[in-house]
Amino acid sequence: MGGVGLEAYLIVGAILFVCGVVCMATKRNAIGVLMGVELVLNGANINFVAFSRFTPLGLDGQSFALFVVVLAAAEAAVALAIALNFYNNHTTIDVDRGNELHG
Amino acid sequence: MIEQLLFWVFAILTCGAAVAVVATQNVVRMAFWLIVSLGSVSALFFLLHADFLGAAQLLIYVGGTVVLLVFGVMLTASGSSVRIKTSPAEAFVGAGVGLLLLSVLLFSVTSVEWDDLESRLPTRNLSPAAIDSQREASSDADVAAAGSSVAGPAREAQAALAARTQAGRTVRQLGLGFLGLRPDQDLNRPEGEGLSSGYLLPFEIVSIHLLVVLVGAAYLARAKRRVVAGASADL
Amino acid sequence: MDPQTTGDLLRNLLTAAWLLPLLGFIAEIYWLRWSHRLSKSSALCAVACIGLGFLCSFSALMVWGNATGWAALSPVEHHGSSEHHGSEASHPEHAPADAAAVIAGAGHENHGEEVAHSAKSVQKAFSGTFYQLAKFGSLKLSLDWYIDSLTLVMFTMVTFIATCIHIFAIGYMKDELTEEYEDHEVHTSHGHFTRPGRFHRFFAYLSLFCFSMLGLVLAGNIFQVFIFWELVGVCSYLLIGFYIERKSASTAANKAFIMNRVGDFGFLIGLMILWTWCGTFQFADSPTSGDAGLFTMVRGNDGKLDVSEDGKEVFLRDASGHRLQQHGQDRSIGYLLLIAAGCGIFAGCIGKSAQFPLQTWLPDAMEGPTPVSALVHSATMVAAGVYLAGRFYPMFTPEVLLVIAYIGCITLFIAATIAVVATDIKRVLAYSTISQLGYMMLAIGVGGWGAGLFHLVTHAFFKSLMFLCSGSVIAGCHHVQEMPRMGGLRRKMPITAYTMLVGVIAISGLAIPVLNIGLSGFYSKDAIVASALAYSNLNPVHSLLFFTPLVTAGITAFYMFRLWFLTFAGEPRDQHVYDHCHESPRVMTTPLIVLAVLAGACAWGWLMFDGDGNPGLLSPVAVDAEVAGEQPAESASWWKWLSNGGKEGPLCGGEAGPLFRLLADSAVVSADEPYTSLGPAKITIPSHHQIHEVHPQAGVMALIAAFAGSILAYVMYGVRGIRAEDIRRQFPGVHEFLVDKWRFDVLYDAMFVRPVHVVSAWCTGFDKHVLDVVLHTSAKVVQSVAQWDRKFDEGMVDGLVNLVGNVTRSVGMSLRVVQTGRLRQYVMWVAVGVVVLFAVLITATPR
Repeated sequence: MGGVGLEAYLIVGAILFVCGVVCMATKRNAIGVLMGVELVLNGANINFVAFSRFTPLGLDGQSFALFVVVLAAAEAAVALAIALNFYNNHTTIDVDRGNELHG
Repeated sequence: MIEQLLFWVFAILTCGAAVAVVATQNVVRMAFWLIVSLGSVSALFFLLHADFLGAAQLLIYVGGTVVLLVFGVMLTASGSSVRIKTSPAEAFVGAGVGLLLLSVLLFSVTSVEWDDLESRLPTRNLSPAAIDSQREASSDADVAAAGSSVAGPAREAQAALAARTQAGRTVRQLGLGFLGLRPDQDLNRPEGEGLSSGYLLPFEIVSIHLLVVLVGAAYLARAKRRVVAGASADL
Repeated sequence: MDPQTTGDLLRNLLTAAWLLPLLGFIAEIYWLRWSHRLSKSSALCAVACIGLGFLCSFSALMVWGNATGWAALSPVEHHGSSEHHGSEASHPEHAPADAAAVIAGAGHENHGEEVAHSAKSVQKAFSGTFYQLAKFGSLKLSLDWYIDSLTLVMFTMVTFIATCIHIFAIGYMKDELTEEYEDHEVHTSHGHFTRPGRFHRFFAYLSLFCFSMLGLVLAGNIFQVFIFWELVGVCSYLLIGFYIERKSASTAANKAFIMNRVGDFGFLIGLMILWTWCGTFQFADSPTSGDAGLFTMVRGNDGKLDVSEDGKEVFLRDASGHRLQQHGQDRSIGYLLLIAAGCGIFAGCIGKSAQFPLQTWLPDAMEGPTPVSALVHSATMVAAGVYLAGRFYPMFTPEVLLVIAYIGCITLFIAATIAVVATDIKRVLAYSTISQLGYMMLAIGVGGWGAGLFHLVTHAFFKSLMFLCSGSVIAGCHHVQEMPRMGGLRRKMPITAYTMLVGVIAISGLAIPVLNIGLSGFYSKDAIVASALAYSNLNPVHSLLFFTPLVTAGITAFYMFRLWFLTFAGEPRDQHVYDHCHESPRVMTTPLIVLAVLAGACAWGWLMFDGDGNPGLLSPVAVDAEVAGEQPAESASWWKWLSNGGKEGPLCGGEAGPLFRLLADSAVVSADEPYTSLGPAKITIPSHHQIHEVHPQAGVMALIAAFAGSILAYVMYGVRGIRAEDIRRQFPGVHEFLVDKWRFDVLYDAMFVRPVHVVSAWCTGFDKHVLDVVLHTSAKVVQSVAQWDRKFDEGMVDGLVNLVGNVTRSVGMSLRVVQTGRLRQYVMWVAVGVVVLFAVLITATPR
């Protein structure tokens, strides 16, 4: 067993998470935002699995990771449908144009 | 060693692709970098002995979700929208905030004594290897049950062998977990304690949820027939 | 005719005469509804009403005369039997069979041929009930009627004089027939006061006045009298204050009203005493139930008081002369109580008839239009007081009569002296009225009951005449009333002047000596002086009651002739007034002439009777009712009477005349023999016979006094032998005193008005400085508390609520900026939030 510990995985997950957040925060394209979400979810998944591997958590972590994957897929499908609707209504995919709910 | 090397390769791939996703302005390239990143993540899962999860990650993410995203890109791509630029100030602010967040996360990750974790958990004082061996042993519950009459040392050795050969084979355990059984936890449990809870109910909920999402997505994304006043004559 | 029918007929006639003016009043009040302001029709309506009333009254007099067979006019000397009241008369009047029924009630009429010898038992007074208002235990309040000869004569007199005055007023009040009447005596900031004319209203008030007076006369109980008494007061208030915009007029109206209230207070006390002790207000016995009336209760059926032996009680009796029983004992009323009741009722008369000490309102009442003065001074207002004193005579004990006599005595003297120095023509007449009313009261007080009422009637004629004359002068001189500015007017207005002269002679009591032929006033004043003389003969202590009226008779003659000479004789003193004055139109002079004839002739009897009681010149045999002239025809009876010396036997006039007899006929109290009081004051009331004995003696004395006064006036003002100014200069104090009307107004001012002012000033001060201060202080306290409360509410409560709202709102508004609706920013904020939370946790949690 190598020297790669829990910490290294957690760092990878953190970087993924932060990349996802920054992606959500900076991309004006709705698809880009969705990609950011995927990144965030994957960052979390890495954490789950890493804990599952290195702690007595056991299979619970993997089970949760599986749920997350499934939910991410469902989320992607619905979000894409929303994005398509948004595109139909605004003829653009720029999320900055969808600010009707501003105060 | 090889495992360590692989980890570093995939870790760098994962992080680099993620950064590339952030940095790229083209949506299609972003999708590409995303594939790279998610694929590397699945490789990391394999490294973490989560075979089924890694496979699922490849299938669902790389094969499904990202393709879906690419479809989305194509459906919405109309020249100008493929490249919607982020202003430099926003990018700068985003980068700053991202770095801050990253530093927070890294600080919290590094500030925890992960090696101390085992001593802090009261019930199971196990190293990763022990965990693995236990897991393998339980995965071969029938084998273990068959050899229950075998004395302790023999069983220890048998379990270590089984761990080495069967590391990463988690499909059966996960399947049982989803059906509500937890042999990995309950086999060595002393008499009188209750059984651990499985994931039958969440599994069902997620199943229904998936079905609902499918219907909903289809409904939301359906082609709306817009009846325009002048258009009906053309049809 | 049986008494019942007669009574009903009389009642119907007099009720018609009474209610006609009320009808007129109601019509005239709403006259502008169907006519316009410039129309004289309202006056014609009023004249028609009162004229018809006169006809009804006169017819009633005739009916009554026929029913009683004119027994009252019997030429025979005063019968030996008592005079009767009610149907209980037991002694037949031996009326001669051939005595024609003759009446001279108003002087120039006569009527029907009836032989009344069949009336052995004649009912002369009729009474009944119109309507019962309420019943309190044994006391009944009802509208009654009581008709005897006094009622009838008063009705005829009032309606006749009122008719004349109404006609006169059409001319006098024609200034009011305009849309814009300019009142020259009222000054406003922009010239004279201008108002719409009030012609119809004047006649409406006159009609109401007549209605009230007639109701008073017709009233059959004392309470009803009181009601109409007050109504008369109201009418006088309205009429005296007719020019209400003039301060003097409204003040005079108030004064008249308030003075009358003072008297009415006594009236009410009297009413209460009678109610308590007699339990009835009715004058006469009830014709239906037979309950005794007041007169019967006190006087029985023989006209005398039934006084207990100790002189402290008067027993009440019923119509048959038996004492009334209650709880097995004889009902009685205390003698002193009876005196108090009498004095109380008389107090009302004092107020109404302007007797001392309430006489001050009458001269001020001159502020009303002159026809009103004439009406008030002759037939209605002041007559009401004397009428009531006469009507209530049976209730007065000799002590009350003494009070009445002294009051009258004082009044007549005071008023006469003031009249001597008065210069306003109407004021002279006003004071003469007061003086004459004093005569009447005196007469009633000294037992000359008939004489007093006789004088009331004759005085009504000549005083209304004189007032109308003065009205004519005032109208002719364009509202100049001061005699010093007149003079010589007889050349400009002869009719007025000579009719006035008739009145002056009448009031002065001048007569042809030896023959004793005079105008009406001569006879009545004669009778009064004779009564007074008889009284003072019997009660030497009170001989002042004889000398005062005797002297005053001279004063009366003096000031009346002074008036006439100043006004009509001599040279004009104010050329401007003289040049502009003119004789009045015929509508005004005709009533003067008619009244002058009556003022001269109303007391005469020789027009109807000859010496033997046979029909005379104007007896019913002589059908023509007009008095065609005062020259008696050359007839056998006339010479017979003349040769007789014209003193006693012949029915020349005066006490023996028909008018006097008619009035005296209604007497309830027997006067056949002197009556000595058993009460506290031992007074003897003279009998008819005693008065008659001293009549010639008194007549001579009165005549001498009158002549003395007249001649003095002639010397001073006619030929100016003595200059009035010299006398005035010689007695400045006396003159001043008289001009100030004996300082009564000053006295009352000091006695009543000033104290009231002082007390009210105290009350005002108390109000202002104590009550108001307390109130204002509490109000301010409340106000400031309320202001504090308001500040608290606005500052604290409202401020708190507003603050919460404002804070919420402003926070929301400021947070609104955050809600940009940009997805990416939210993400950014989430990230930043996590970082910040982490930083906070790291720094805040202890390691």
